[in-house]
Amino acid sequence: MTAVARSAGTQAHAHGAVTHQVILVREQDAQHSGSGCCGRLGEQDTVFGGAADFGHSRERMEQIGTIYRALTERAPALDLVVADPRNIVWLYPAIWRAARDHGLGIGATLRSMARAGSPVAVVLDGETLYSGRLPETGEVVDTVLGRLSRRLDA
Amino acid sequence: MPAFLLIVITLVAFYFGYRFYSRYLAEKVYALDPNFVTPAHELRDGVDFVPTHKHVLLGHHFTSVAGAAPIVGPAIAVYWGWVPALVWVVLGTVFAAGVHDFGSIVVSARNRGQNIGTLSGKVVSARASTLFLLIIFFLLTLVNAVFGVVMAILFQKNPGAVIPALIVIPIAVFIGQWAYRYGRSIIIPSIIGLLLLYAAIPVGQAYPITVDGLAAAVGLSVRTTWIILIFAYTWIASRLPVWVLLQPRDYINGQQLIVALVLIFAGVLVGWDTIAAPAFNEVAPNSPNWFPYLFITIACGAISGFHCLVASGTTSKQIGNETEARFVGYGGALGEGSLALAAILACTAGLGATGDWNAAYADFGAASGGALGHFVTGTGHFLSNLGIPATLGATFAAVVVITFAGTTMDTGVRLQRYILEEISELAGFKALVGRVNLLTTLAVLIPLALALVPGGDSASGKGFAFGRLWTLFGTTNQLTAGLALSIIGVWVLARNRNPLAAIIPLVFLLFMTTWALVLNLGEFFADGDWLLLVMDAAIFVLAAWLIVEAFTAFNRERGARRQTRPANR
Repeated sequence: MTAVARSAGTQAHAHGAVTHQVILVREQDAQHSGSGCCGRLGEQDTVFGGAADFGHSRERMEQIGTIYRALTERAPALDLVVADPRNIVWLYPAIWRAARDHGLGIGATLRSMARAGSPVAVVLDGETLYSGRLPETGEVVDTVLGRLSRRLDA
Repeated sequence: MPAFLLIVITLVAFYFGYRFYSRYLAEKVYALDPNFVTPAHELRDGVDFVPTHKHVLLGHHFTSVAGAAPIVGPAIAVYWGWVPALVWVVLGTVFAAGVHDFGSIVVSARNRGQNIGTLSGKVVSARASTLFLLIIFFLLTLVNAVFGVVMAILFQKNPGAVIPALIVIPIAVFIGQWAYRYGRSIIIPSIIGLLLLYAAIPVGQAYPITVDGLAAAVGLSVRTTWIILIFAYTWIASRLPVWVLLQPRDYINGQQLIVALVLIFAGVLVGWDTIAAPAFNEVAPNSPNWFPYLFITIACGAISGFHCLVASGTTSKQIGNETEARFVGYGGALGEGSLALAAILACTAGLGATGDWNAAYADFGAASGGALGHFVTGTGHFLSNLGIPATLGATFAAVVVITFAGTTMDTGVRLQRYILEEISELAGFKALVGRVNLLTTLAVLIPLALALVPGGDSASGKGFAFGRLWTLFGTTNQLTAGLALSIIGVWVLARNRNPLAAIIPLVFLLFMTTWALVLNLGEFFADGDWLLLVMDAAIFVLAAWLIVEAFTAFNRERGARRQTRPANR
């Protein structure tokens, strides 16, 4: 399946045909809007990040990181995006476009957008596969690649 | 002049700034290389280092830098007339903020995504890291003080905003439980929460809440009572886990920001209001002159030093192609400038349409103490152009600023707690280390003391202390920007390129900042404002320190250039 995903994804890119996109939704471990200037309260690699205020967000970032690395390795041609659910100006139009491009109905698209607006979510071609809590990394990756493989075969 | 024209003029200036000046920066100053392997690729881990589409990254970057500060500064600064305020916003954004935000991303990306605190030690000098820490300490102290006063002013003048502002708290707590405890989607509940918040606005107007009785009972002024209550709330809020209140409120704030911006600009376009304020206002006796105070009154919205923390904290780690730093960094600065433009429009065209602008901005005291009220009233008028009753619109604007300011204080006190702990460790004073309640209390008491310094109109006519606090906040913000511009300038010089794009705004900011600090020293001494005098003197020392560090670093780099060929660092 990995090889299928890799080669099919590459073909899709090479022919300029339908591309496949996975959006990994997760909150950055820092404050966003509202705090404005004081927003950098993150954990690692940010200024003054010693305390564990955002430990729960950090855990999700780490898990998304493992999914990201696995997908990068097994389907390198995949358009892989990591986005924050608070980035409303980009995220929801992107899901709408991808879902409609891949044939999802309006109702399903709206439901997908609603589910994607979560502290953590996985979206394939506009369809939200996981929202809120994620199973083990391997299961997420297999599900994404399985769905992708079926779409490429169709 | 039609307000619409101001939008057109500003956007055209921003367009040309982006089209030509940012291209000059990209090609000649930062020499962006499309083949440079950015940290997002080199250290790609899917966690912190993630190559990210430029549109996604602009969204992250902009929502991280946007807040209430670009509203407050311009709302005060139109006191000197709309032309000086607008010109500084436009020129500052194009020639200073753009250079600063864009350059911070580039320099950080060229140093494996290191943040500006680390870079100050590496590029300028080892002492600069300590300087950075101290500047941030003063900056946060002043941020917390000014936003405490901002909220108090708005609650006092808009008692109808109290219920909607309070309603946000249980809504956010519910959303936090829903999303973080039970792992559910957050976007729909946050939209419902936003609608409930808006529904609470007429309720708040029907049942305005004041603390007059409490203030009379304890023998304090109404404003002082509000300030103390707000800081008490902040102490509690900053001790809660972030997922309980801070993070879920972030979603509501993000949506409010978009809604408010759309409504203000739509109101201007529909209403076709004219600018009722004078182009240049005659300064009242004993009120400060626009030169140099304009340049520290509008910090965020023209140039804000805190943006370098965002640029180097996360954005630089996610730039997929170095050439995209132009779009994200310069584009983010233009977005912040647009927020400042919205505030200028509300306080000139919007406010002017509702009453006597000259009375509202009679002197600097009235301008600074009433700035938020003027913004709120002006926004209310713009919303009335869209069929929303002006009083409801005004309360809507007050709630936007209050929730932003509340989040800022919550975040600021947390951050101040860490800095106090870090400073106490550096000073070898172990008694504070790990004592969270004590650190939080200190982080609240220091700005509270500043917020309560003298409460009424001062004899010199400079007005309510808020204006003074705000200009002090502006000086520290500009010093942070100055430190980042020093890093950028030295880095550019080390590559044998012309560093004037960074040096000119650096010199300009340091000159205006130190000049204003010196003028303030005299004022505070004459008025016997001892706490503000000490604060001002301390910031002046930091400014002098920064000037020495920057001068030394540039000289060192010039010397190195003479002796050796430029080396890639």
